[in-house]
Amino acid sequence: MRRIVTLILGAVLSFAAVSASAHGVVRYMSQHPLPRRAGGGFCYIDVPHVHDFGPSDPRMYRQVDGQYYFVGDPSPFEYQGPRYAYYGAHPVVEANVSFGQPVYCYLQGPHYHWYQPPPQATFELRGGAYWYTGSYEPAYYDQRPHYAAVNEAYAPMAYDRPIVDVALVPAGFHGELVGGGPGWRAHAVIGAPMAPPPPPVQVQVGVGINMGGPVMVGGGPAPVYVERHDHGHHEGWRNNGWREPPPPHGNWRGAPPPPHGNWRGAPPPPSGGGWRGAPPANHGGGWRGAPPKAAHGGGWKR
Amino acid sequence: MTRALTIAALALTVGACSKKAGDGAPGAAHATGTPQTIAVLDAWRSAGLTPEGFTPVSPPPFVATYCERGTVSGVEALVCEYADDGALDRGQQQIKDEHERTGVHTGVTLRTKRTLLSLVDREQRDPNGKTINQLVQAFRKL
Repeated sequence: MRRIVTLILGAVLSFAAVSASAHGVVRYMSQHPLPRRAGGGFCYIDVPHVHDFGPSDPRMYRQVDGQYYFVGDPSPFEYQGPRYAYYGAHPVVEANVSFGQPVYCYLQGPHYHWYQPPPQATFELRGGAYWYTGSYEPAYYDQRPHYAAVNEAYAPMAYDRPIVDVALVPAGFHGELVGGGPGWRAHAVIGAPMAPPPPPVQVQVGVGINMGGPVMVGGGPAPVYVERHDHGHHEGWRNNGWREPPPPHGNWRGAPPPPHGNWRGAPPPPSGGGWRGAPPANHGGGWRGAPPKAAHGGGWKR
Repeated sequence: MTRALTIAALALTVGACSKKAGDGAPGAAHATGTPQTIAVLDAWRSAGLTPEGFTPVSPPPFVATYCERGTVSGVEALVCEYADDGALDRGQQQIKDEHERTGVHTGVTLRTKRTLLSLVDREQRDPNGKTINQLVQAFRKL
């Protein structure tokens, strides 16, 4: 019954949206994906313009003065143009676009935008991506609960994310390192059973992630490395599910931060915290990143 | 008498056709101190685009001093020159209002100095906006 009500409500809302767009125009600030009903693909007009259709998914947009601005990653929408890799949340710094207020991209993990940070912006290019190393304004935290939904919008989409070496995370990066998420997959560090009595399997996800990289299974004296390359055909983990189930102990994306760790989704390594992106000591290969760094500060900041 | 009128009409038509776009209608004055329509059309040609059928609009609409209308790859283009910023502001708003009222598949209104460009794609001739963006980029450089 609830499903039927939901379907009817969805149909009514869709009809209302189509009806609204049939009269008048919808304003866009810059480039944006084209909804399927408008033929699909991408609109390359990078100045304010109007269309007779609204956005296909408002979660990928920000409305400023009645205009829609696309804050997402253009890659899944047949976009053919310059792309710059970013990691984590950051202020939107597209030249020629002025919002009059701070506007943030809340996309988690590696993603693309068509703009490059201007020289005066506080970004650092490391490991193949731009990282925002400035401070987030209060608006970032205030608006995050609402706008982080952009990640849900991308969850079912399969497309190539940039390859980012998170072992090279800049010290000034205050964002989150996440262990895979919408439409992409990361390294997972899985602790193997120790000598008897075997403890429960422990899964660590989040640090040392590389897109399309291996899943490292280890933790005991003889770690086993399981390569999990999908050649960029990353599957959405929400709709399609992972090839392996999420870890059982709530250390996956979306789980609350560990009580004492400086890590998202996994307990801190035994040899002192601050381990970010580098492999656990003595575990050898399977990582593209740099060797372990002694201290990088917390990886989890709210 | 009818024959004479026909010849006269033909002569006028030939004269109009041989007139180069951007030259303006007889008696129509261009605005000064801002890129003129001919410069806009030249910029588009330099960018590899092909402006077609550009003719002066008389009287100039949208409180402009001088306007020409034509098409580029199926996209309707209107280039207007203005004598002052106040008239330009009013003209730009009138064009936006018209887009709102009539509804367009895609519409752009853009200014460079006191020259206004309005682009309208009514029939999805430029579905991904690449032509419009080329027109815009060339216009912005003026």
